[in-house]
Amino acid sequence: MWLWFAKLGSPRWFYELSDKWLPWLYVSMLILMSVGLFWALLIVPEDYQQGQTIRIMYIHVPVASISLACFPLMAVAGTITLVWKMKLADMVAQSVAPIGAWFTGLALATGAIWGDQIWGTWWAWDARLTSLLIQFFLFIGVIALRSAIDSPDAAAKACAVLAIVGAINVPIIKYSVEWWNTLHQPASNFSIDPVAPNPPEVWVPLLVMISAVYVFFAIALILRTRNEILQRERRSQWVIDLVTREKNV
Amino acid sequence: MNDAREIQGLKGVSTWSAFCATLRRDLIIALKRRNDLLNPIMFFLIVVSLFPLGISPDPVELSSVSAGVVWVSALLASMLSLDNLYRADYEDGSLEQLLLSPQPLYFLVLAKNIAHWLISGLPVVILSPLLAYMLYLPSEAYWTMVLTLLIGTPVLSLFGSIGVALTVGLGSRGLILAVIVLPLSTPVLIIGAKAVTDVMFGLPVSSHFALLGAILALALTMAPLASAAALRISVN
Repeated sequence: MWLWFAKLGSPRWFYELSDKWLPWLYVSMLILMSVGLFWALLIVPEDYQQGQTIRIMYIHVPVASISLACFPLMAVAGTITLVWKMKLADMVAQSVAPIGAWFTGLALATGAIWGDQIWGTWWAWDARLTSLLIQFFLFIGVIALRSAIDSPDAAAKACAVLAIVGAINVPIIKYSVEWWNTLHQPASNFSIDPVAPNPPEVWVPLLVMISAVYVFFAIALILRTRNEILQRERRSQWVIDLVTREKNV
Repeated sequence: MNDAREIQGLKGVSTWSAFCATLRRDLIIALKRRNDLLNPIMFFLIVVSLFPLGISPDPVELSSVSAGVVWVSALLASMLSLDNLYRADYEDGSLEQLLLSPQPLYFLVLAKNIAHWLISGLPVVILSPLLAYMLYLPSEAYWTMVLTLLIGTPVLSLFGSIGVALTVGLGSRGLILAVIVLPLSTPVLIIGAKAVTDVMFGLPVSSHFALLGAILALALTMAPLASAAALRISVN
């Protein structure tokens, strides 16, 4: 188990392994995304209250769920960086910050479009919107901190500390704004019962879309991390070999 | 031989007396620099008096925003004074000595944070009723405002300290400090301002105090640890 852990820390090992994963991920994303989008945008019946706008949910919910997962992921990667000084963990932490910021921005944007249709306003100082906005600022803070520190080693540790502090704070922010003001509907419960308010024909495509966007996120994260590996390990022999081999072919 | 004895001597210093010495030293330095001491308070006064100019001199409108204005200004004043917390010590090398001392860094950082609060937070708390009066805050909300500020401003110092510790070695830290610290401070702002507004409407506020107290307890136990870790990273 420890051998596996040590191996995982090696950027080269990850680079070679992800080479094998990526084709599978591409194929599964292509299938899931096309099935999910086709199903969600064309087949799912109109909502009796929201009409066609219900289809925004199939983008908004997956994107928002990932944006919420990014901060804990960054904090876990940061903890691994601080405790085991694993190079790969910091590369992942660095890669996940801009992706998290993008997904948070996307969740806010799709939410605004949906909100314009349903609530009649693009923006409201509602609890979830506000906490997502603050989370967006936290991501920007982490990115800004990393770009401000010159030494990569110090930047890695500083961002790890900030990510952990931020991750502890995210739930506090979430609850404090929830007590403060709430307009957003609570997350719905899904049921297999066909006459329930949320029948399977509504939530199964949502599940497909969530998995599709998760796979997309994984691909984006892996590609970014691979770039980071090449960038940081550019002086090591295996990267030089890799690049020259590709040039010769 | 001599060095060894000196280290032995330092180890003999109890954590408590090191804590008191750090606190005393920071307070003495602050009291000798009168301008640095006055700047955050003047800033607080000026920012608060800008709001009536920007919004309206109307008592009804002002009293409805007064709680938020005082709280936001206190937050900004606390952040503005944060830079003094570690920078001078970083530049003259005494921060390194602090990190090298055998006493736990947690308590030394805590002492510096308490000194910072006494210098920048407490004057704001003391001044706040005057400003609340200028903004037509209803008189029944005065005590709530002072008490929420009393519990909330130490949290601002403790959270802010993490941000300063992370950025102390950087050239351009003013804006980045704001980007890091302000989002972290939002829960305190929300609960503190909400408590004052609720009192104005005659609602019970004990839950807000409980929450603020919980955040303060969490910040007291955790934030100096994060600051200490951040200082070790920044100084290396």
